[in-house]
Amino acid sequence: MSGTSEGWVGTEFHRKEDHRLTTGRGRFLADLVVPGMVHIVFRRSDHAHARIARIDVSAAKAMPGVIAVVTGDDIKDEILPMPQPVVQPALPANYPRHWPLAVGRVKWHGEPVAAVVARDPYIAEDAAETIEVEYDPLPYVGDPESALADGATIIHEGWEDNVIFQMDFTGGADADSQKAHEAEVQKVFDGADIVIKERFTCHRCGVTPMETRGALFDWDESDGMTGWLTTQRPHIDRLALSDILDIPAEKLRIIAPRDQGGGFGVKAPFYREPMLIAYLARKLGRPIRWIESRQEHLMAVSQERDQIHDLEVAASKDGTLLAIRDRGLADCGDGCEGVYWGFLMPFLGAVELPNAYHWPIGDIKVKVAITNKSALSPARAFGELPTRFAMERAIDMVARRCGMEPADVRRKNLVAELPYTSITNEYFDSGDFIKVWDNLMAEADLPGFRARQAAARAEGRYLGIGFGLGVELSGVASELFVPMENQPGYGAATVRLDPRGKVLVFEGDAPGGQGHETTVAQAVAHSFGIHPNDIIVTTGDTGTTPFGSGTVGARAGSYFVSAAVQACEVLKEKIARIMAHDLELADAAPADFSFADGFVTYEKDTNIKKTFREAVERIIMAPINLPAGESGGLEHTAFFEAEKPMIAFNADVCTVEVDIETGQFKILSWTTSEDVGQIINPQIVEGQMQGAIVQGLSNTMFEEFVYDENGQQLTADFETYKLATAADVPDIKVTHAPTPCPYTPLGSRGIGEGRPSDVPGTLCNAICDALEPFGIEITELPLRPDSLWRQIQAARGAS
Amino acid sequence: MYPAPIDEYVRPATVADALAALGRYEEGDAVFIAGGQSLMQAVKARLVRPRCLIDLQAVDGLSGIEVGAEGLRIGPMTRYAEIARDARLGGAWGALGDAARRVGDRQVRNRGTVGGSLCWNYVAACMPPTAIGLGATLELTAADGSTRSMAAEDFLGGPLETAREENEILTAITIPPAGANAGSAYKKWGLVTDALPVIGVCIALEAEGGRCTAARVAVGGLAGGPQRAGAAEAALAGVAADDDAGIAAAMDAAAREIETQGDLWADSDYRKQLIRSLGADVAASAFGRAAGEEAGQ
Amino acid sequence: MSTTTITVTINGETIEETVPVRMLLVDFIRERAGLTGTHIGCTYEGVCGACTVQLDGEAVKSCLMVAAQADGHAITTVEGLAEGGTLSPLQRAFNEQHALQCGYCTPGILMNMDEFLRENPDPSDEEIRHGLVGNLCRCTGYAHIVDAVRQAAKETG
Ligand SMILES: Cc1cc2nc3c(=O)[nH]c(=O)nc-3n(C[C@H](O)[C@H](O)[C@H](O)COP(=O)(O)OP(=O)(O)OC[C@H]3O[C@@H](n4cnc5c(N)ncnc54)[C@H](O)[C@@H]3O)c2cc1C
Ligand code: FES
Ligand code: FES
Repeated sequence: MSGTSEGWVGTEFHRKEDHRLTTGRGRFLADLVVPGMVHIVFRRSDHAHARIARIDVSAAKAMPGVIAVVTGDDIKDEILPMPQPVVQPALPANYPRHWPLAVGRVKWHGEPVAAVVARDPYIAEDAAETIEVEYDPLPYVGDPESALADGATIIHEGWEDNVIFQMDFTGGADADSQKAHEAEVQKVFDGADIVIKERFTCHRCGVTPMETRGALFDWDESDGMTGWLTTQRPHIDRLALSDILDIPAEKLRIIAPRDQGGGFGVKAPFYREPMLIAYLARKLGRPIRWIESRQEHLMAVSQERDQIHDLEVAASKDGTLLAIRDRGLADCGDGCEGVYWGFLMPFLGAVELPNAYHWPIGDIKVKVAITNKSALSPARAFGELPTRFAMERAIDMVARRCGMEPADVRRKNLVAELPYTSITNEYFDSGDFIKVWDNLMAEADLPGFRARQAAARAEGRYLGIGFGLGVELSGVASELFVPMENQPGYGAATVRLDPRGKVLVFEGDAPGGQGHETTVAQAVAHSFGIHPNDIIVTTGDTGTTPFGSGTVGARAGSYFVSAAVQACEVLKEKIARIMAHDLELADAAPADFSFADGFVTYEKDTNIKKTFREAVERIIMAPINLPAGESGGLEHTAFFEAEKPMIAFNADVCTVEVDIETGQFKILSWTTSEDVGQIINPQIVEGQMQGAIVQGLSNTMFEEFVYDENGQQLTADFETYKLATAADVPDIKVTHAPTPCPYTPLGSRGIGEGRPSDVPGTLCNAICDALEPFGIEITELPLRPDSLWRQIQAARGAS
Repeated sequence: MYPAPIDEYVRPATVADALAALGRYEEGDAVFIAGGQSLMQAVKARLVRPRCLIDLQAVDGLSGIEVGAEGLRIGPMTRYAEIARDARLGGAWGALGDAARRVGDRQVRNRGTVGGSLCWNYVAACMPPTAIGLGATLELTAADGSTRSMAAEDFLGGPLETAREENEILTAITIPPAGANAGSAYKKWGLVTDALPVIGVCIALEAEGGRCTAARVAVGGLAGGPQRAGAAEAALAGVAADDDAGIAAAMDAAAREIETQGDLWADSDYRKQLIRSLGADVAASAFGRAAGEEAGQ
Repeated sequence: MSTTTITVTINGETIEETVPVRMLLVDFIRERAGLTGTHIGCTYEGVCGACTVQLDGEAVKSCLMVAAQADGHAITTVEGLAEGGTLSPLQRAFNEQHALQCGYCTPGILMNMDEFLRENPDPSDEEIRHGLVGNLCRCTGYAHIVDAVRQAAKETG
């Protein structure tokens, strides 16, 4: 353990969470037990699209140990259907009506059809198996293009087509302005030296966490409902449940377990299952626990990225980017998912398409179609992994056409001065992209690599180098969050001082491994000049924490930490005011007191000091002889909202060797350059980067949700939905070129959420660089040896 | 997720008791469990619903590797981890270690057995082609105490099919003695490290003066079950260890004669290419071992 | 429901319980022995390694066994790693190298690597990575796990 009481920010402090987690004393949802608890198991649809002709639950109901069996028909008049306002964005879209269990029709393979409550989960599964469901199959709509084709089967009852959402991001709100804008963009294309036009497709994949979802609800007539839920947004879940089940909000308390086995966005939506479980817990008067199986998880959630982009880029032959045109099309699945509705990801992906490049003009439109698959659910690199893949690949293609180094085209077109507003109206608050880029290039040694590459090629070996970069959101300001999710963007923290000089911090968001307990303890320790071990952080309990919209969009390092620090500052002023009063230092200002090494010291005469504990205890335990207008106690809740949305920035370089006989390749190195602003804990930051990049690699190379021609999901276990193992991935070298963020008290930025997004482009750029003699341009993910081999074969055959 | 109800668990101490337990149930209702690394997947998915589990862990004499004049005798309950660390299994038997060291992961290798792999004969499995490549003979014991032996290639049928009769237990796997200039090797490819083989190739050969005199080539990962590649075996005969073109031609013959399928991991053409590329690597290490070099994977 | 009575020593403590024959070892450990450090990440496939425990000192996946198979054997779980409350060098290294984020995979990884290091006291990075194939981690990208195992090897080796 290093660091001193003056310097907790920026020091490597080993995590407070780890002791319990390395000794088996973590408390995850599946570890929670309530007396009298029973278990629930879902029976899910075997069909992708069908009318439910008949459900017979009699055998299940008759089984010993079974407490209840319910179907959609049983609950549709007792639970209000979705959508409900708190989980409905303020964006114009079609919001499909749905209940927790399918009513009338099933719309994807795996949709919940019935549920069994039993005293033992083994028995619940036995009973669920006996439920007989008769289906009348309906035509399967399996991709967005056929969903939008004339005469397509319309999936949601009462809809006119299968469009859930569409938007023009650049042309204004009305048809005339859009037309005019299109023409203006076309003019640039007409006059450009170089035009690249490609279809880029990204497959369905996501960031499935190691812990699946789960819920435990307990109803009590006097206290109301207590629900433990795997969630990133307990406060939102609480409001949504209150609406749907018609339970007054004050009778609902949602607790995200202190330990959650990863979230990455997957635990951010308001899902169907908890609605039903909460309803049943009240109706049956028994605590009910649900632990999602991996199979359910891979069928129902974690599916993201499913986008197609017809992208055009206009450039001049010196590599200057002139214009961009994109027609995005996303496969939403059924869209029945509170908060995100399957379309918010492609929406944000389009916003982020321009990336950190300066585009004088652009024409960007997106359409999102309902299909018979599970709804897209968020995953880290939210919506933007597909658009960034397209963009980073397109930049390399432009470079090749110009005969330039892709690295040079990137540097040339990077936004050089911040703040900056992109053509999709994304605001880049601060930072120095060029500095980050130049730091990367110093690491990359491009000339050295080109020499090694040439030597290898002479021996028939194919080495390649690839670059990529990305802007990521550092928290989401209310300005964007209110329209996007109908939720506030501020970060909130309550800081409560304990008479013994310890500090309790309460956060409404619910982390899942990001190390909030440590990071915030460091920031607060720094502020008060005490030790991080003197700080106890409580997260995710709506009964004790201030409102927070959730652990989403890398809010912690920016919003939550800032709120905690702001609260500390308010409390420090109070301590200073009262100390000045007590010591009769009439002209002392709060700023004259320093908080360090466990003391509060009057800087103008450092002999005048009190221990932090004395200073605090006096105000909490002896609130007499206070200055006029001052009250006892030390607790403050701060709501931090930055003036402007904030960003973080990164760039990557990787090198590869490709075996042209098999299409198999090896990643030789991966180096990053980051601007995360002021680092609070370097180890945690590096861990975020390592993890995020490996997730990006795993998405790119291994993971894919596959549906067959009838919509049967073929990849619902870890044998078929493959994740990268330790032996499949490189060690990542993380380097920093930081610019402190001027809008947060510590200069920190939130990081990590968007970090996987430039990984596929970077890797594919390296592969294409290696295969440059064959002229191969990868436009489709996943990147698999068999398809690469086929492309190499075709190129060799052609040459 | 959870197994369907199971009535009984038994842990016999002898082969006779194991077979007697089997005999007490209707066909298919009682199953042997060895390492459980395949069976338990099927039981938890409720694809197999045994009424009785007959655990072979304590059956006397089913485990261990003996090296004798007759060659190798491997107990079916011998686990991958034991094979992987057995220093005697080089040269002619090198393929065994190659396969065992790369099955799944450490935990699977600590439990999974050679016999279980052969009796399950999963489409993507390492031991079936290895046993065929090494010319293994399997010894089966029936309820009446009688035994019969058959070549691995006759025992192993299409995926999940074997010639084992319902009332039989696999009691030994024997592999012929190592010739003086013999070497074997095995290698597979899967999308992630040590994954189930999309294609696995085993080659066992004898060489004189660096030239192949006889070879067996077996391929796994096939919808038709593990197979020998006869044309490749013929083509390898006479090929010198350093004759890359000759080896490539032999492996091309294997790729052409073997019918391959497409699935999530590779289409049928890529499977053929894997036979070629893995085959070339495997042949090289088999030649190396035949020449006394002990290069593992 | 058919049951069987088994005697299992877990972390040195012998317990006798009557369990359904079909009860998985991982559920026995979690629900009967109350040791919830051992986690579950798979349905039936036994790939993720979160449930890894040691059976007579060897790392195995406890989701791929019924509890009855462990009758008469000794199990060690993550709760049994720290002797007398002192973290083992491996546990300490995980903290010092930041080898865990959510910690869901961690118990399984510790139980696998604990045996791995006994078998292989001076491993290369490549050997460590290969030894980790049976444990999926979604958070860390593995690099810090490799660092931690290397550190523990150095300290104990
Ligand atoms: C994560 C994971 C990864 C894997 N990766 C690989 C891989 O890369 N390559 C590979 O080849 N395999 C792999 N496997 C499968 C593994 O090799 C299995 O261990 C093996 O297929 C079965 O051996 P077992 O001892 O576990 O047999 P069990 O699962 O116990 O039994 C399998 C079948 O054989 C029968 N049986 C067992 N012993 C006998 C006997 N003596 N006589 C008659 N019948 C018997 C059983 O009744 C059962 O039907 C993997 C498994 C897992 C869980
Ligand atoms: S739960 Fe046992 S391996 Fe995943
Ligand atoms: S630390 Fe989260 S899965 Fe490994």
